[in-house]
Parts: sequence; C-alpha cells; structure tokens
Amino acid sequence: MIVAQRKPFAEIAQSVSGFNRVLVAGCGTCVAVCLIGGEKEAGILASQLDMGAQIKGDECTFAVACVERQCDREFLDELAPQVAEHEAVLSLACGAGISFLAERFSDTPVLAGVNTSFIGINDDVGVWGERCRSCRDCLLSLTGGICPQALCPKGMLNGPCGGASEGKCEADPLKDCAWALIWERLENTGRLSNLEPIVAARDHADNLPGAQVHPAYERRYSAHE
Amino acid sequence: MSSFGDALAAGEFVITVELDPPAGPDLAPLIDLASELNGQVDAFVISDNRLASARLSPVLAGQRLSQEAGAEVIVTLTCRDRNRLALTSEMLAAAAAGLDNLLLVSGDFVNLGDQPGAKPVYDLDSVQALVLAGGLNGAARFLLGSGLAPEASPQPPQVMKFNKKLRAGAGFFMTKPLSGLAGLEAFVEAAGPLEAKLIAGVEVTDEAGPEAAATLAKEVKASGLAGGAHLSWPGAPQRLPELLALLQA
Ligand code: SF4
Ligand code: SF4
Repeated sequence: MIVAQRKPFAEIAQSVSGFNRVLVAGCGTCVAVCLIGGEKEAGILASQLDMGAQIKGDECTFAVACVERQCDREFLDELAPQVAEHEAVLSLACGAGISFLAERFSDTPVLAGVNTSFIGINDDVGVWGERCRSCRDCLLSLTGGICPQALCPKGMLNGPCGGASEGKCEADPLKDCAWALIWERLENTGRLSNLEPIVAARDHADNLPGAQVHPAYERRYSAHE
Repeated sequence: MSSFGDALAAGEFVITVELDPPAGPDLAPLIDLASELNGQVDAFVISDNRLASARLSPVLAGQRLSQEAGAEVIVTLTCRDRNRLALTSEMLAAAAAGLDNLLLVSGDFVNLGDQPGAKPVYDLDSVQALVLAGGLNGAARFLLGSGLAPEASPQPPQVMKFNKKLRAGAGFFMTKPLSGLAGLEAFVEAAGPLEAKLIAGVEVTDEAGPEAAATLAKEVKASGLAGGAHLSWPGAPQRLPELLALLQA
C-alpha cells in the first residue's frame, strides 16, 4: 500500500486561502488504511478548516466527499457533480490520486493535503514501514525478501557499508542495517550462496515516466495508435 | 606502477597519512604540510568530502600536492556524491593528472555532514565502482583500493563484501580507524589468507592523544596483521608531524 502523512495544518490552510468553496476529497483505499486521507480524516480536516475560517472571520465553506479510489477514472467520475459546485478540491489521496483527480477535473484547482511517503506495510496498530522503492527490477529473490534499496539508505547491492554497527544502520542507529537482516535471513535458510556473485550496477535506462498496458489489452490499445 | 604500489609489492610496512582538502580554495597550507611530511610517508590519502562535508575536489588537491610537494597521492572517490558518469570523469581526471592510486568507497551517509539535505547518489556501490575503474580506458595504470571496516558488526557480511572487492580488483584496503587490534585480528582470521594489503587506520582522537595512536601503529606493525598504518588526526592535521616523530621514536 501507499503510505502518506498529512501536511501541516498551516500549509493546508495557506493553500486553500483565497477559495470560498472547497471540496475536501478523501480516498477510500491506501490513505484510508493508514488513517490519513479516508472519509473520516477528510471530515476532521474539513471541520478544522471550518473552525479556522470562522476564527478568522472568513466566509469559506468546506464540504467533504470520498471515493473508493482516486487513482481510478471510474471512481473519480462520481465526484463530478460535487467538483462542479466548488472552486477548488483539496485531495487527501496519494500523489497518484491527486494528480489523476487534477487531470480529470483540469479546470478546477486541485490542492494536495498529504505528503505521499512510501510503499509499505502495516507493521502493527498505527505503525507502517517502507518496503519497496518500485525500482522495476526486483531483487527480493536474491536478498531473502528484504529490499536493500528500500531499507538501506545507501541502496547498497553488494553487502553492507562499513558503517554498520551491532546490526544497526550508520544513517539511523535506531534502525536495523538492511544487510544484517539479509545476511541473517539467508543464513537461516541456507542460501548465503545467493550473495556470492557481484551484483552489477542497476540499469536506469527505462527510468522514464512509467506506463504499461496489460498484455491481454495490448491489441485494444494498439488499435488507437 | 606507483611508488606506493612498489612499496606495497615489496612487502614494506607502509605509512600513509590522511589529508582533507580545504573547505575553501587556498591549498597552500595543505601543500606546506605535505612538503613537511614528504619523505616520512609512503602516500597521502586525499579524502573526498570526508564525513559528507563539502570540500575542494580531491583530484585537484591531489594534482597540486603531487606537482608542488612531490607527494605520492591516493585519491579517494566516494559513490555518495557522483553517479557513474561523474565517477568516470573523476577517474579519468586523476589518470590525466598522473595520479594512479584510487581509493573507491561508498562514502559516509549525507546526514552526517554539513549539507544533510543533499541528495545521496549511490548510483554505484564500492564494489561496482571498482568494476567501473577496472574497465576504464587506460585503467591499466590504476592501483585500486577500497575501504574496510574490521570492527563493523555483524562481521560475516563484511567479509563477504571484502571478497567481492578483491574479485573486483582491489589491491589494497584502508581500514576505518581501529580502536585496538582485536577487531582486525578477528577479521583477518575470518577472511583467511589475504591476497591484498590491509592498511590499518590509526586516528588521533582528542581523548586518547597522539601517544596512544603511535602505540597502536607500532602494535599493528609488530602484529603482522596489516601491511601498513594509515594515520589521521582530524582535529589537528597540522600536528601530524608530531605523530610521525612519535612513530619514529
Ligand atoms: S528490489 Fe526493492 S525496490 Fe525493487 S521492486 Fe523489489 S522490493 Fe521494490
Ligand atoms: S549500515 Fe547497513 S543499512 Fe545502513 S547504510 Fe550501511 S549497509 Fe545500508
């Protein structure tokens, strides 16, 4: 899932200033699960903004909407009637959702209410952890299922840097060194030989804006070209 | 081969000294220091934005030290600040400047330094940087080295990476500053017979002073665990002559 953090209130208040009718749009998927941008959080933010406006004597109003996924055209369409009644939309979806909403309603200013942080997992109640940097060439089979790009700040591919100390990371001693974890996992499963070959430098040649068509749909979309 | 390489190959116990280029454009004090120390050391290791704090280019500093102080120089290049294109440029610059000894390291993380908001590059790691240097046009002239952290833990993955660096062409290894002999001893035992020279890092700290560093350097030599000592005095590099005098005493 995508994990996000809400932007500081002052930054949000600043970004909506100047608009009198703002729609706060939540997203019911990842950001709802990480308790940042679902329907409930959109409602809370709208009330806070309302209160802030009242204190300042501003005339603004804040309405709330939430769709299943802002990263999906079909769900975004549901927002059309409400968007039409507002001067701006403050989206609490991840960056993909916010930008798709802005693309779908390109005549309406769309503002970001969250900072999209990482692709991660729900580790425990209220705790999320980064696990993947979407590098397009997954190494997890080699590294025992532990990503050296997401969990090592230096993205080391051939083993630990010299800063690892008692299994903790040079850059953040509160965190485990990814390579200490990888070593331990592979040792426990008898797969240390995975690490023998030198891992070559990553190929960033396809590091262009990503787009893909599922093979089953290739014919349909190539017909449009 | 470089004179440093010759000394290593001859099995001499080498002494190297770490010098940080200035955080400004004036190289005169560094050149004076190198001139004073020249003859007492086998090579000067020119650091590269040590501890992730920006300083003058190590290739340029190395070239000036070589030309104006007659110094034998080892140029450090980190992967932290340069992608593979920029590393290639600097390696070629070093070669063109007649600087044949390269120390290729990953580099301390940016959050330790003076510009913690800088983008960490790490396009390559140190193993991949060795592979890059080994494949460069004109690479035959390079003597390649890398870093080693005998006291880092856990140790087994460090040994694994050390072996990869050997396969990638590292001919010498500079260790991080040691706190004693125990870590080095354990590493050498774990790594088995060494095909490359280890040069043990000996740093003067404010707490322990130069006497402790000189003692450790002598212990390293007597132990036979390393092929040299790499001296540094980050708090007061201008006092390095004192440390060398203590070593000779
Ligand atoms: S290697 Fe890491 S960053 Fe790349 S796809 Fe796999 S988990 Fe994601
Ligand atoms: S200590 Fe481990 S996780 Fe941290 S930067 Fe070094 S190799 Fe990566």
